[in-house]
Amino acid sequence: MGTLRYILRRLFFCACLVVGVSLILFALINAIGNPIEILLAERPGMTDEIVAEISRYYGLDGSVTDRYLTWAGAMLQGDFGTSIIYNQPVGGMLVTFGLETLKIQVPGILIALLASVGASVLAATRQYSRVDFGVISAAMLGHSLPGFFVGILLILVFAYWLGILPSYGAYSTRSMLMDSEIIDGLWHMVLPVSMLAFFNTATLTLLLRASLVDTLRQDYITAARAAGLPERRVVLGHALRNAFIPVLTYLGILFGLMLGTAPVTETVFTWPGLGALYIMAIQQLDYPLIMGTTMVITVMLVAATLLTDIAYVLIDPRIRLG
Amino acid sequence: MSTAGPLLQVEKLSKHYSVGSRGLFRRSGGTIRAVDDVSFHLRVGETLGLVGESGCGKTTTARSILHLVQPTGGTVRFEGEDILPVFAAGARPDVLRIRSRLQYVFQDPTLALNPRWTIGETLREPLRIHWPGRRDQWEARIAELLGLVGLEPQHAWRYPHEFSGGQRQRVGIARALAVEPRLLILDEPVSSLDISVRAQILNLLVSLQQRLGLGYLYISHDLASVRFVSSHVAVMYLGKLVEMAEVDAIFARPRHHYTRALLSAIPVPDPDSTQPRIALQGEVPSALRRPAGCPFHPRCPAARTVCREVEPRLEEDEFGHRLACHNPA
Repeated sequence: MGTLRYILRRLFFCACLVVGVSLILFALINAIGNPIEILLAERPGMTDEIVAEISRYYGLDGSVTDRYLTWAGAMLQGDFGTSIIYNQPVGGMLVTFGLETLKIQVPGILIALLASVGASVLAATRQYSRVDFGVISAAMLGHSLPGFFVGILLILVFAYWLGILPSYGAYSTRSMLMDSEIIDGLWHMVLPVSMLAFFNTATLTLLLRASLVDTLRQDYITAARAAGLPERRVVLGHALRNAFIPVLTYLGILFGLMLGTAPVTETVFTWPGLGALYIMAIQQLDYPLIMGTTMVITVMLVAATLLTDIAYVLIDPRIRLG
Repeated sequence: MSTAGPLLQVEKLSKHYSVGSRGLFRRSGGTIRAVDDVSFHLRVGETLGLVGESGCGKTTTARSILHLVQPTGGTVRFEGEDILPVFAAGARPDVLRIRSRLQYVFQDPTLALNPRWTIGETLREPLRIHWPGRRDQWEARIAELLGLVGLEPQHAWRYPHEFSGGQRQRVGIARALAVEPRLLILDEPVSSLDISVRAQILNLLVSLQQRLGLGYLYISHDLASVRFVSSHVAVMYLGKLVEMAEVDAIFARPRHHYTRALLSAIPVPDPDSTQPRIALQGEVPSALRRPAGCPFHPRCPAARTVCREVEPRLEEDEFGHRLACHNPA
């Protein structure tokens, strides 16, 4: 089967998946309640007419099916609806908050990738040495510590004790650092990115080291040595590329799950990203916002999985799609 | 060719591993003498068959010669040059000069070929390393190599998993031949192949040797194939050579009791054969607890008191065998 046909078939199933997720989610939100009830609990004493008026205004008066179809129809035309709490178009909010999330998640993964390749090569080429045990122990520790704990520790040390890095937010509210928006933004990114990079490095290192140790024992590696290839090129050229396949799977999941881990990071650092927005939307049952955020998460995860499968073929010629 | 000295001369080669746990509470272990004081030589156009049971040190011997494992002691002379210090010093031009002339063929070609490289890429690698200035000749050389081992030029675009085991081993041989070596170390090159394919590969090896004037160090536990390809045979037991002679002499008149037992284990293609089997008693002792005296004495049918106490040395006997036995047959 051709690669293109495979991709088209996969895309069709991905679309079905996204529709399914939206259906289930919409039903679940409605099972919990509706935002008017929360509004009523906060401001008791509203008359039934006002409640009916608000319901009509936000389109909450129709049946669940009608409302889903309206939402889905608008969504297909690129309209995510209007947030009930913020009274802003959800689409615009997703972009603004999403960019903030990408700003810390992408560097967090890329730094981890570089660091874990370095640490794994260091450890795997010196298997069972002190260096190796050191790397494994550190990675185990980093993998086992909860992310928020590391985040709080970072805040304690660098923001509270040393006072050299900001502990919350993406920008300074009063005066920008050195009067530069870019430097100020980067300064605020350091701690959240460190927390993400720390955790990702640990996990990637555990995976890559094990895979590399296994690959370095293969006969075709010995063959490369017997042919006279310098050890550096044996490791970096032959072994690393072959050892990378299992890591690639995880990397795909990591990109897809970016928004799954975002709520924790963004809560710890009060980061104005999608994760924080998601939490807020759920607390308020702001269903257009919940739906919008979830759709982004779903599409990213599905796309990451698909891209991983396609990347496999590029790295590993033995894998045939079908 | 015989006017020159031996192609390969191995003297007192040893590889010892210290094993045991450096545990927190106890310290145990010892030294495994995987290869112990092994000496032999090999001339251009000759094949030395190195035989012995699994774990007796054949592969370690081969890999020590190539410095793929670092030998504990001994010297290896290749075309008269003492090569182990050259590998240890690691100066690129010198190492490459020796590596290009001394190549290795692996036991299992499925493991020895990078699964994510085409055959062409695999064959191009030694050329890239050793002929960096002859880039324009690479493709022609790859086609030539494939023809040499009985494959087609268009096979260069295929991946290892698209080939049969026999074809893969042909690729393994082609890779070893790529940069015109003088000596091939063949580490059980047919033991992972079907019987029917074995003969083809062995025929290929013999004809390549005649055409290219190669020396072979042929490692195997399959004595029938050793008899077919070898001009000389060396028998190893627990890391030591116990008997070495020309192939006909070994098969006609084995003198070491271990050699006799090995030879009697060769299947005879005749159901009515009454050839007696010499069944050895017991297991191969652990290399960690090697018996005192002759290492073979606990299993030897002709062991005497002296065998338990004095380790026999490898010495030439009256039939031209080099033999390590106090009481030969």
